[in-house]
Amino acid sequence: MRDSGTDKGLRIGIASIFLVLAFLAIISGLFYHQVILYNKYIVESENNRIRIQPIIPKRGVIYDRNNKVIADNRLSFTVSIIPFEKQKGVTIRRLMDLLDMDSTTIVKRAAANFISNHIPSPIKRGLDIDVISILEEQGEKYPGITYSIESVRRYQSDIAAETFIGYVGEVSPEEIKAFPGREYRPGSLIGKKGIEKTYDHYLRGMEGTEYIEISAKGKIIGPYRGKEKIPAVPGDDISLTIDIDLQRVIVDNFHSLDTQFCCGAIVAIDPRNGEILGLASFPQLDPNIFSGPIPPDIWQGIISDSTHPLLNRPLAGIYPPGSTTKLVTAGAALELGKITDKLLLKPCLGAMKFGNRIFHCWDLGGHGRLDLYHAIEQSCDVYFYQIGLLIGIDPWYDYVTDCGFGKKTGIDIPGEVPGIAPNSDYLDELYGVKKWTHFLMLNLAIGQGEFTVTPLQLTQLFCGFANKGMIYRPHLLRERLRYDGSIVKIAPAPSFRLPFSEKTLEILNESLKLVVQGEHGTARGRKNKAYNISGKTGTAQNPHGENHSWFVAFAPSEDPRIVVTALVENGGHGSDVAAPLVGKIIDYYLKKNVPELFTKEEVPDEG
Amino acid sequence: MLEYRQIDWKLIGSALVLSIIGIILIYSAQYDVQTGDSMNYYSRQMIWLAIALVTLIVLIHIPLRMIDFFSYLVYIGAFVLLLLVLIIGQSKGGAARWFALGPIHLTPSDIAKLALMAALSRFLAYSKLPPQSIKRLFVSGLLTVIPVMLILKQPDLGTSIVFIALLFSLWFWSGLSPFYLLLIVSPIFSLLASFHLITLIIYLVILITAILIARRGILVSFFAVMINFIVCFAAPIIWNDLISGYQRLRILTFLDPGRDPRQAGYQIIQSKIAIGSGGITGKGFLGGTQSQLKFLPERHTDFIFSVLGEEFGFLGTLLVVLIFAYIVYRGVAIAARCRSKFASNLAWGAVTILFFQFFVNVGMTFGLMPVTGLPLPFLSYGGTSLIMSWTLIAFLILADYYWTEY
Repeated sequence: MRDSGTDKGLRIGIASIFLVLAFLAIISGLFYHQVILYNKYIVESENNRIRIQPIIPKRGVIYDRNNKVIADNRLSFTVSIIPFEKQKGVTIRRLMDLLDMDSTTIVKRAAANFISNHIPSPIKRGLDIDVISILEEQGEKYPGITYSIESVRRYQSDIAAETFIGYVGEVSPEEIKAFPGREYRPGSLIGKKGIEKTYDHYLRGMEGTEYIEISAKGKIIGPYRGKEKIPAVPGDDISLTIDIDLQRVIVDNFHSLDTQFCCGAIVAIDPRNGEILGLASFPQLDPNIFSGPIPPDIWQGIISDSTHPLLNRPLAGIYPPGSTTKLVTAGAALELGKITDKLLLKPCLGAMKFGNRIFHCWDLGGHGRLDLYHAIEQSCDVYFYQIGLLIGIDPWYDYVTDCGFGKKTGIDIPGEVPGIAPNSDYLDELYGVKKWTHFLMLNLAIGQGEFTVTPLQLTQLFCGFANKGMIYRPHLLRERLRYDGSIVKIAPAPSFRLPFSEKTLEILNESLKLVVQGEHGTARGRKNKAYNISGKTGTAQNPHGENHSWFVAFAPSEDPRIVVTALVENGGHGSDVAAPLVGKIIDYYLKKNVPELFTKEEVPDEG
Repeated sequence: MLEYRQIDWKLIGSALVLSIIGIILIYSAQYDVQTGDSMNYYSRQMIWLAIALVTLIVLIHIPLRMIDFFSYLVYIGAFVLLLLVLIIGQSKGGAARWFALGPIHLTPSDIAKLALMAALSRFLAYSKLPPQSIKRLFVSGLLTVIPVMLILKQPDLGTSIVFIALLFSLWFWSGLSPFYLLLIVSPIFSLLASFHLITLIIYLVILITAILIARRGILVSFFAVMINFIVCFAAPIIWNDLISGYQRLRILTFLDPGRDPRQAGYQIIQSKIAIGSGGITGKGFLGGTQSQLKFLPERHTDFIFSVLGEEFGFLGTLLVVLIFAYIVYRGVAIAARCRSKFASNLAWGAVTILFFQFFVNVGMTFGLMPVTGLPLPFLSYGGTSLIMSWTLIAFLILADYYWTEY
């Protein structure tokens, strides 16, 4: 195809003018910078350096449900090293004296937090003003060393807050990889656990940057005028569903137990919406110790502690549920039509023979002939052995998993474990096909054996009983208070419904009430005049020592406002240690939130 | 057989001088004062130059008709490579841009650049449709948009912009009237102007006046005005109300990495200091190493021109700019002289790419242009870039050699 040449001259003309102008622009630009501004740039190049200083935003404050502070920030100083400006043999030696650290640690920290030659890498955080004033006055003696003001997390230290808040720490290389983009860089702080981790993206805000001009001798001259600073965006505050006063009551009451009870878990949830009111793991850890790099000896102490303080017991501690899950067994039997509520089974004589083995009831004195209500009231094992066999393992398994066991609840903090709900496949795998008998079901029916649950799952189950079968996802975030002043409220999220009919739920709730209100109830010690409590005791068999003590309860029975679970490791019978603990927690909460219950009670007294 | 006396040796010589200057600068950029040695980038670049020269020799022995004939096939091949790099490509900093073939990093976007140039040259040369026909513009636009979308996905904004520039430039060269070209480009200006009310009003007044004066028919004028208005009014609404602050910042950093203070913004400050402190005569070979250039992480690739400015001063930069100007001048002359439309388009495309990358890269080093990560042809370290630049020279040589052919 031939180029016709029409108006080709014009196009060459336009192009030529354009190109000549472009080359002139480049040449004059170079002339301007290299010849006219030479004096300015040569001074900058010879005498000055420009340092990039990140501006760390304020990390969001964490409040409880009544806007009381659980975690805020205090100012502290961080000393950093600027690799490019450091002097061999001088910088590190001076730092050793200044920070009281050995050279290998300093070099290691500088390498771990290295970003580029010109960006400070933090060496030590949480320093006070004395160190900084030395740097300020004798800056020239410390080449390549700079400091910045940073906020350090400050937590309420005595309320087991670590259980749900977690803590922050320096970001690891793996975490930087896991969150692409430039949001984290070596030396940044990141939530490592709990709320701090889940909602890190809300809390952290966005880093800003400023350019600082420093002299060749290391003195800060001031902000560099050639480049505007980019302000930091502060993190969002959040408010949790936790009631910090209730949490304190929980912790104080646990600590007032006999000193032999070091370990356990307490969960308190509002069954109407899944809001977690209190959550505590014992022994508690003070989250403040994680705010700086943890001294190795303290860390060693924590990980070698035989009570495992790092284990988040409400979410990750797994225990046999004991008698507490007899309710699920009972519900399954009712739904499957194996029993009716009034049906009397074979009498309990303290034990019963199945095959050629004898299975004992916890009360060796025996309970006699019982219907369902009284079997739950007195927690008769023999009764549940019988209905366990009627149900069979796999149908039982279906009900257990439909009640939320063997899977995570979906709580909004990491670290949750599902526990184990066994079925015949699981047992085949564990013991081998046909190497186990259906008598294993007897143990499962009373919440022992291979069946394990977390305190959170158990609380969730009772939220279902308290809320007509409807379960909301347990959660901790209540509101997000954005830095611009707007508020994002978190709506309760329906999770699932218990697999029981209204009638079955009524029967089970009636039985739960008897546990406390009944004449022979295993938790009758919790009975009081102001309100009714429904609950269930449990004793988890523990092959390593004294049995664990469970009590799960909700109150008031007629209009439940709170479900509380207490697990006390090595606490023996549920009624002995766990039940009084739960009673005090419920009492405090109802006095605070439903005072009418108590005034109503006083009126007849006066009359 | 090729008649060697008729080859434009001056053009080859200019490119060779630039390549050698590049190797010298790469040596300096990676020179380590403490060890008195340079990293082996410069020797690798010498090998690349040898490969590039072999490529040149091979290419100029191919008849231009053959390149013409295989244009579309090459285009399809490049398309497949672009798809592959997205699926199995190696990534650097999250961007999937190249394949690793042993020690060689193959960047399909550079191959696609050449392929698109050939395909567009062929289509615009043989299409019988008038230059401003919608169908012609649509098909050539589509040819461009397909690789651009794939490259944006990598993501590589800088290279995508080269493709767009190539398309506009070839439209212009193949006869589209400057009026229509401006009309097509005008929404982009509307978008930019819409962020400042007074600028926007002035811009719209000028635009409407221009359209009215041109008297190109009611339909075209109305359509052009409407599109501009829609862009002007939609952009701020989308920008301010429909996307969040975080997203806004991400987009800004994507469009203009200079906003990202820790990386590109800092590089620009240091690059300006390097160039400016070079003065008229510069600090001398290796003389810049102790100064601010150590601050530039990309000094042997994107910021090689800053090394030149610091060590060889204004005289050095002027020399390089003039050599580029000579190459562009020769390229335009060749494109103007060719009798075949394909050869003319091909030469024009080659000039466009060389000029555009030169302008954006050099402009970037002293803050005239944003940081886009485009290498400087012939000088920046990198095999694919060097071979691509030399391939463009080969096309120019071919177009010149066969200028009498139709």
